[in-house]
Amino acid sequence: MKKGRIKVMLGNEACVEAALLAGCRFYGGYPITPATEILEIMSRRLPLVDGLCLQMEDEIAAMVAVVGASWGGTKAMTATSGPGFCLMQEAIGLAVAVEAPCVIVNVQRGGPASGQSTSTAQGDFYQARYGSNGDYSLIVLCPSTAQEMFDHTIKAFNISERFRIPVIILSDEVVGHIREKVFIPDADQLTFVERKKPTVPMEDFVIFKPEENGVPLMPTFNTGYKSPVISQAKSQSGNRGNAKEAAENIHRLVSKIEDHMDEFAEVQVYGDEKAETAFVTFGSVCRAARSAVDMGRDKGLALRSVEVKTVWPFPDDLVRRALAGAKRIVVAEMNLGMLQREIERVIRQPEIKIELFSKIGGIYPQPQEFLRFLEEKR
Amino acid sequence: MKDAEKIEIDRRYCKGCMLCKYICPSDVFEPGQTRSDLDYLMPRVANLENCRVCGLCEMHCPDMCMTVIAKKKRKEKK
Amino acid sequence: MNPLGEKYLRKDFLPFLFCPGCGDGMIVQAFLQAVDDLGCVDDLALTAGIGCSAWIGVYMHVDILKVLHGRAIPAAIGIKATNPSRKVVTFTGDGDCLAIGGNHLLHAARRNIDMTVVMVNNQIYAMTGGQVAPSTVVGSKTQTTPYGNIEKQLDGCKVAIAAGATMVSRWSTAQPKQLTRAFKKALNHKGFSFIEIMSQCPVQTGRYLLGSSSPQFNFQWLKDHCVKEEDPSKWAEIEAQGKIPVGDFLQIEQPEFMEEVARMNQRVKEAQAKGGDR
Repeated sequence: MKKGRIKVMLGNEACVEAALLAGCRFYGGYPITPATEILEIMSRRLPLVDGLCLQMEDEIAAMVAVVGASWGGTKAMTATSGPGFCLMQEAIGLAVAVEAPCVIVNVQRGGPASGQSTSTAQGDFYQARYGSNGDYSLIVLCPSTAQEMFDHTIKAFNISERFRIPVIILSDEVVGHIREKVFIPDADQLTFVERKKPTVPMEDFVIFKPEENGVPLMPTFNTGYKSPVISQAKSQSGNRGNAKEAAENIHRLVSKIEDHMDEFAEVQVYGDEKAETAFVTFGSVCRAARSAVDMGRDKGLALRSVEVKTVWPFPDDLVRRALAGAKRIVVAEMNLGMLQREIERVIRQPEIKIELFSKIGGIYPQPQEFLRFLEEKR
Repeated sequence: MKDAEKIEIDRRYCKGCMLCKYICPSDVFEPGQTRSDLDYLMPRVANLENCRVCGLCEMHCPDMCMTVIAKKKRKEKK
Repeated sequence: MNPLGEKYLRKDFLPFLFCPGCGDGMIVQAFLQAVDDLGCVDDLALTAGIGCSAWIGVYMHVDILKVLHGRAIPAAIGIKATNPSRKVVTFTGDGDCLAIGGNHLLHAARRNIDMTVVMVNNQIYAMTGGQVAPSTVVGSKTQTTPYGNIEKQLDGCKVAIAAGATMVSRWSTAQPKQLTRAFKKALNHKGFSFIEIMSQCPVQTGRYLLGSSSPQFNFQWLKDHCVKEEDPSKWAEIEAQGKIPVGDFLQIEQPEFMEEVARMNQRVKEAQAKGGDR
């Protein structure tokens, strides 16, 4: 039984609570519904721990400042919603290219463009993975409760420091704005990961030469390493690379994450693990799916709900295992079919059609609708 | 006013822009026939005896190739 | 390699990628001279964006974060914020700073953050082959204004002054001594300092706009066209002659952003300790 306290809080608030515990001391942000609370609460809490919360002039500045703060030696984060997330894409690619640990929260809302600022949606599923230019990989976590918002934020900082990557927390308006119980463990009950720094003299240090696990050591600026950190495709020395060096570096940026998925990938199964009918969901829709499973059980239906907690890199093996034995698979999401495509790719069984329960426009799906879908689309 | 012992032009980086010749007030340089490692025609120190070690060539070289070395005085001037 | 270069350049990245006769290499030297005179190399943290001038800092053996086009200033803010004792200098260009990066210049100046922005102005987008820039003279036939530029020029120094910069200077690569002096002044100035440097670009500006790609011609052009005039009331007259006023235009003391942050944090923590809120 962990020691800690219970507090009722907004999902967005739980994110700040976790970030501060994890050691985040720089926040660069911009107001945008439904993520604004994260910026506002940070502006109140960071000065009390000698941190800095800066409302920047736009989301691009916010994300670039976060990358600067990361190389400056501090754990840093930002939060936004769809429109701001679009603006941040180039800078997210920058964080990948210069291997800067940082955390970005996208509290999804209706799109496209300005969309529906106060309504929930899940349309940024692919953008979170492929929004920036070129070849790269990163990690995306999907909380469905205020508790998970807390837990995933701790995890996000840890894996961003471990892998030296930007980690995206793909939340949505429901999770951001729900107010519910969160258990906050005491700090000594949690594990925090810090980036590994070089100890050898500068002359013996090659800035982008990886350790065994594919991740180079990261010197903080002004600690005697005189690091050349450029956004161009590079060689291990930090200079622009030739074709072979650039390709090798890109391969490493991808494999340093994708070769170690066992360290962070997570899929949960709720309900009857052997049920022939399975829902597959991510983010806030997991909540309704669970209620649908419970409702179904009361009616004598065997149902299972597969919840993808780390959607990128997509956990193919874990998902296959979670869906083993399922004869009917219904993907429920608040977009026009994105997780569905991944499930189709992963479950290549011709006798099983991957069905889509899609609900867009901003109204959250009710548990009854899941059961009605099963009935009507038999 | 000093005399120059030597003017070194680093052939690894010279790009033959000839700004050294342009800025020199003492007519020390002339276009040369040797190519630098970057394949540009380098300037030539034609009149070292004219050099007053003003340092303008060193200060203005866009590739930081020029080093002007003054002659050491044998006796200390009082 | 001259002694200053031996001491401060990042040798394994040489030679400079700059064209023969380019002003950027002269700026490397003038800046390193200032750093050497002040002995502050270990405190430096540089940022840069994209463009020819963005490479100036890469050749110096110091910490540098070279980011995206136009975004060097927010990167500098992130670095400064995490350790205010750093001397943060951003090397940017007329396109990087006044076009795509314009918004960031306004707000960094407005905040009076203790950092230095060095905007190297060659009046064109040189790295990408000679397109029009916000600083390009009206009438110029560039790669994207083949019939003549019809847009008015933006004056970076005027923008910086209006936005709240507390030190503003403009010099040229034809005045390396004044440039070094301005760099030293900026490195010691507590607040946002903006230094614009008119710099020769023989291969783009020279070739397409001035009629000659000779380094000597382009260098002389700067000598002929940059006129020292620190009285703003006389600028219009100089500009009407097609010349460029240079000099140390402004230096004032105003509350500096990171100091104000520290003061605020202290006040808030004290109030909280007493059980209050603000």
